Order: sequence, then C-alpha cells, then structure tokens
Amino acid sequence: MIERHTVDGVPALLAPPTGPTRAGLAFRVGQVDEPLARRGITRLAAHDGAVGPEFTSFHVQGDESATAAFLTGVCASLREPPTDRLAALAALATVDPLRAEPLWRRRHGARDYGLAAYPEWGLPAITEDDLREWVGRWFTRENAVLWVAGDRIPAGLRLDLPSGIRHDPPAPSSALSVTPAFFSAGPDLIGWSAVAPRSAATSVFAALLERMMSRDPRVDQQPLGADTMLVSAIADALPGALIDLLATLRVGRVDEADLTAVVAERIEALRHAEETTDRLRAQAFRLLLGREVEQLEDEIARLRAVTVADVAEVATAAWRTVLLMSPTPADWAGFAAAPTYSASAVPGTTYRSLEDENRRLIVGEEGVSTVDAENLATVRAADCVLMRSWPDGARHLLGPDGIDIRVEPTLFANGPAAVAAIDALIAPGIRVDQPARDTAQIPRPRARARGGPAWWRELAQGWRRAHWRLRWSFAGALIGAVGFTVVAGQAAIESARTSDALYTLAVAVLCVGVFGRAAWKRAALLRAT
Amino acid sequence: MSDRVVLDLAAAHPEATVVRDALAARDWGAVRAGLDAAPPVLRSMLIDDAAERDNLEEFLREVIAADPADTTAVALLAAHLIGVGGHDRLRRAELVLLDGVARNPADPALWVARLTSARGLSLDLAEVDRRYARLAEIDPHHLPGQDAYLQRLCPKGGGDWDRLHGWCRAAMLAAPPAAVQARLVVDGHLEHWLGDGRSRIYLSRKPVRVELYEAARRSIWHPGFRKVPGWVGLASSFAMAFSLLDDRPAAARVFDLLGDLSSKWPWTYLGGTDPAATIVEQRKIAYKYAEIDR
Repeated sequence: MIERHTVDGVPALLAPPTGPTRAGLAFRVGQVDEPLARRGITRLAAHDGAVGPEFTSFHVQGDESATAAFLTGVCASLREPPTDRLAALAALATVDPLRAEPLWRRRHGARDYGLAAYPEWGLPAITEDDLREWVGRWFTRENAVLWVAGDRIPAGLRLDLPSGIRHDPPAPSSALSVTPAFFSAGPDLIGWSAVAPRSAATSVFAALLERMMSRDPRVDQQPLGADTMLVSAIADALPGALIDLLATLRVGRVDEADLTAVVAERIEALRHAEETTDRLRAQAFRLLLGREVEQLEDEIARLRAVTVADVAEVATAAWRTVLLMSPTPADWAGFAAAPTYSASAVPGTTYRSLEDENRRLIVGEEGVSTVDAENLATVRAADCVLMRSWPDGARHLLGPDGIDIRVEPTLFANGPAAVAAIDALIAPGIRVDQPARDTAQIPRPRARARGGPAWWRELAQGWRRAHWRLRWSFAGALIGAVGFTVVAGQAAIESARTSDALYTLAVAVLCVGVFGRAAWKRAALLRAT
Repeated sequence: MSDRVVLDLAAAHPEATVVRDALAARDWGAVRAGLDAAPPVLRSMLIDDAAERDNLEEFLREVIAADPADTTAVALLAAHLIGVGGHDRLRRAELVLLDGVARNPADPALWVARLTSARGLSLDLAEVDRRYARLAEIDPHHLPGQDAYLQRLCPKGGGDWDRLHGWCRAAMLAAPPAAVQARLVVDGHLEHWLGDGRSRIYLSRKPVRVELYEAARRSIWHPGFRKVPGWVGLASSFAMAFSLLDDRPAAARVFDLLGDLSSKWPWTYLGGTDPAATIVEQRKIAYKYAEIDR
C-alpha cells in the first residue's frame, strides 16, 4: 500500500520496506526540456543524478540517517552548481559521438523528444548563470516527488528546495508531415517506432510484439508526454516481416495462449519491480506527470483485463503513426517517404564549392542552404536551434526539423565571407564555440579536376588511361583533320584565282570529313575510357 | 490433324466455367463453393482465371467488407487488380493483400498474388525471397507461386542465371517424381533462351539439353505422370522447347499428349500476335517430321 505524505512542501510516497530503506528524489526535468544549444545542462546541474528523457532522479539505499543525509545533501548541492567542474565536464562534449537513434531524430527533429538522440553539444557554452537559472526553474519543490520504501519518512530529512511550478512535459513535436512513413538509415538498420497510449494494453502489445517477432527482437517503450508512449521495435528481420506482424496484431489475430502468457509475464515483472522498488519510483514519475498513484493490485487487475480487441486497438492506433526505418522503400504497405531534404532553399549569395561543381552554399537574410545534385538542406536563421563554431571558421548549423548543414570555409570559394555572413545571422544564444581543431582535421579541397568543361576533363582523363594505340590514332586523325582544314582553307582562297584549286578544295574537304569523323569517333572512345 | 487449339483453362478444368458463371451472376456463395472444392494449386489457377473477368472490384470489395477474413475474395480482388495493371492498382492490391495475409497467412493464393504484385512493383529481391519462403512453408510445391518467383530470379527481375537454374532444378528434384515442377527447369531455360536474344545456340548446348530431357523423363515421360492441374502448361513448355531444339519427334509426342489443349505461355515468347496460330504451325511441322521418321 502506497501512502501519500509531504516533506518540506515536496509530495512524498511511502511504501513498506522490502529490505533496507531505499529512497529517491525525482524531478520532472530531463533531456526533452533542454534546448539543443544547452544540451547536457541537466546532467551538469544534477551531477550525481540519473538523467532520463523526462525525469531526473537521485537514489539512495541505507539506514535512515544516511538516507536523510544524502537527500538533504542533494538539495544543497543543487543550489550550489559545480562551477569548478564546468570546464572538465565541457571537455567531454567534444568526444561524445552522435548516438544511433535515427528513429527519434527522424520523428521529432532536434527538439523535445528528439533531443535524447543528440550528444551534449551545449556543454561548452554553459555558464554558471545558465546553471543557476536552470536549477531555479526545474529543481523546485513543486516539480519534485520524494519516494521512500521504508517504515517511515526518515527523521531529520530536510528538502531545502526553491519554490517554483510543476512543469508538464513538452508536447511531442513531429518532423513528419505524413505517417505511416519510412526512411533509410543505412543497409543494416531495420525497425520502427509508433505512438501508442500510455496504458496496460500498450505494454501487453509491446510484449506480444517481442514474443511474436523472430530473430533477436528488441522492443522498447519510451514515455512520450503524459498520455502516450513511443513503442519501438528493432530486429534482425526484413521490413516486410515487421510490417506483416504489425498488420497481424492490427487485425487482432493473436493466440489467446500468447496473450495469457504475456500478461502473466508482465504481472511477474510488476511484482519483481515492487520488490526492487522500481515500481515505487515509477509511481513517483506518474505523480510528476499529474497522474494518480496506482496500487499494485489495481495495476495487475488492469493488465488482466486486457483483451485481444484492446491489443488490436493499440496496434491500429500505432499503425497510423508508424515510422519505419528500412533500407528499401515501403510504399507498397501504404507508407509515405519521410522528408529527407528541405522543401526549398533560401534566396541569397551563392558560394561555389571548390570540390564539386554541383554543390553550392547559399547564405541569405532568411538563413543558410546547401544544394548539390541530390540534396537540398536549409536551416532558417529564425528557427535555427544550434550553431557549433570552430576557430578555423567551420560551422555546424541545426534546424528544429533535424536537418543540419556543415560549412567548411576551406571548401568554398570566398568561404570566409560566407562564414562571416552566417555568423551575422545567428543569434548569440544558440552559438556554441568549440575548441580549436588539429590542422589535420581541417579539410582541404580534393584536387579538383583541372578546369574546363566536362567533356574536356573526360577527354583528358581518357587520354591518361587509354592504350597507346588509341592515343596515336586519335592524335593522327586530329592532325590529319587540322592539316587538311588548313589545306582546304588555302585552296578556297586560291580558287578565287584559278579553277584548278577547286579540285584541290574538293579533295581537301573530303579528307577533312574522313579524318574529322575518325577523330570524333576516337574522342568519343577516349571520353568513355 | 485439325487446326484447332483450345487455350481456355476450362477445357482442361471445367470447374473454371462454374466459377466464372457464378461470378457473372454475382453469386459469391457459388464462387466459394467452386473454389473451395478445388485442390490448392487448381484453386490458385481458377482464381487467376476468374480474375480476368471485368469490373469485379466493387463486388469483391462488398464481399470483403461483409467478411474481411474471406481471403478467397481478397486473393481474387488482388489478382483482378494486378491483372488490370497500373502502378496505382498494384498498390491497392498490396494493401488488400497486407490485410488478408494478416488475417489468414495460410492461404497460398494470397502469397501467389503477393509474389506477382511484388514483380509488378519491382520490390527488392529480399522481400520477394521472404514472400516465396512464406508460400513454401504452406505448400513447397505451389506451381503458380513458383512461376511468379521464377520470373524474379531472372536477370530482368534482379536475379542471375546461375541462381535461377539452380533453384529451378532444386524445385523439380524436391517435388515428387512425375510432378509438374519439371516445368520450372524448362521455363528457366526458355527465359535464358529469350534473354540471349532467342538464341537456339543456347538451347542446343549439351548441359541445357541434358537438363531438358532429364526434366521430360521426370515428368511427361515418367510412368507415374498424371494429368494433374498444371499439366497443360507443363506440356506446352516442353512442346515449345522441343520445337526450338528441332527435336520434332519429341515435340510430336508432346502434341499428341496435349491434343487440342495448350496454354498461351510460353508460345507468346516466339513473338507474333496469335499464339494459337504459332502453335498450329509448330504442331504441323512436328507431325510432318514425325511422319517422315515413321
């Protein structure tokens, strides 16, 4: 039985002990609340805490006085940001690689629920003032819940937190105009994610999926706001098999025996979570989302009540929101291609690539675009969420839709001017300065094929590669054609004076034709070589 | 010898007429009765045949709306949409099939239609392989599905000749002796012949000839050979292959077996707008040579 209490204005949950006293303090703040330009700030503020997408929590296990001392200490350290450690922590950001969570990034972009898929890119820019403001905003007693698995609330526990407000999680944004949709993240990445209600039926649905999927399935449920979950399934299976399985659940073709087994497993897992106090922590999170605390027996009863029809209903709702990660198109299943490129480029000054004649960088008042033969990426200045900048002039801009642009001034004609124009566009608050790079890391333009139009470059390249016989016969034909053109020209002038030259002219023109044709054919061969 | 050639499926399988008439009368109960009574391979063939009737979509959608689990209606509607053709109809067929397979994955006719539409939509070969594997789980020797899969194993469908011939022979050997699966070996070589620009040199290569005659001994010339569903197509493939090989006596024997019956396939591969005329011509030549032989 979970009891409700209040400690220093913080709502508290007390449940009977299952061993030594365990306790925790949870706040409704996490990665989804961070702007990308300050990504990592929650972890910096709560250096001893566990930071998740929606919650940050501090856990302790021990006797009553140790528990009280720890939690009281947490509150004190929250009020005193670790200013001495800022530089050391910031250095970590440069080695943090981009996490492989393309499903999150593609669905939400570089904001709220997509943020967990991005490295802590904001760390280098976070100041002491930023930290104080962050703590004052999020780590308040109204935005916290205490939980204790023990005989009572530890005596002497003080939770000295500032006053503030409870923050609801952000509304999940979408970078997808149409769902169900698909995109490719490489030849080996296959899986999908879908939105489902936060309910017992959804957890049964997810467990059934895992049971019915063949070959190394991984089904996850991530919270997505107060009322929904993001269910994702990754597997070593073909996209078609995943689609078929979801369709199977959608029509409710589920073996009753499987359903019973899965429900029994879920109940077992709940009882285990009750033992480890994981369930109590989950109830604290529930409370932070503004939902009511649920007793174990009620939760079990709701699981037992799940029917095949409920699962089919979840699957039907999920189907409409599916984002499939598939190396091959899935339009056959009625899925739309998720947008990969921006819809339009900004008007502005064009900077030519020194490497690729089709590639251009455009900087205008509205923002920045890069265009090449296959891609179009635009980050608008007004809604740019982050610009990382290096002393050598390199820039990395990210838009809220997750589309990003990397600018290397060494690779564009007049590159430094482009960078200056970009810097003028971007608000200082979203600019994050990076440490200097090694000179080896600064790209140089690849030896661009020597100038001239494409046919000339092809010809030059073919000449280098071709067999000597082809070279000589091309050269011979060309010399012949040029030579007879000269002869024909002279004969034409001569023919004004003497009609004898007409005969020479005719022969020369014929020879120009023969040699010219031969040269033309060999040139075509060379270009194809 | 008459000039008569009957290309109609109903000539060998009168059930086709029953199903067509029931469909024309929009009597779904009778359509189901006709199709349900047929063994699986014949059922798939009858569905393909019935799907050629005009204006079925509205009627079949009503049937499916009344009972979404009636996958006979689903397979028929899909085959109809695929047969009428066009990218949009193929997509609609896929969606109908997706739901049908979810409800009854054990209906082989659904997988035959899925293999055929996968070909039309040029789905990737891995997906086609998956679909065939699912069909083979239900029925490892389902000729209509094997036909569709064979097409995708050709280079024009994204496969290659070695894999195609290997699979055809394996499918024949996996089937019981005298089974119609020998046709896959013949069709594999006819595809190769066509791919090589209708080159008779290809067919007269020794390994090819050896495989063709082996296939004949394993089917039409096998003592256990019976006229089971698919036999007309099987014999037609042999009739054409032997004609191309200029083994006219062998072709004559196959024409004897066929009588007036034939399938359009593979005669359409010889070009010409009228397969019946091609068949009559080749049959005449075969009998003329056979007479000289006798």
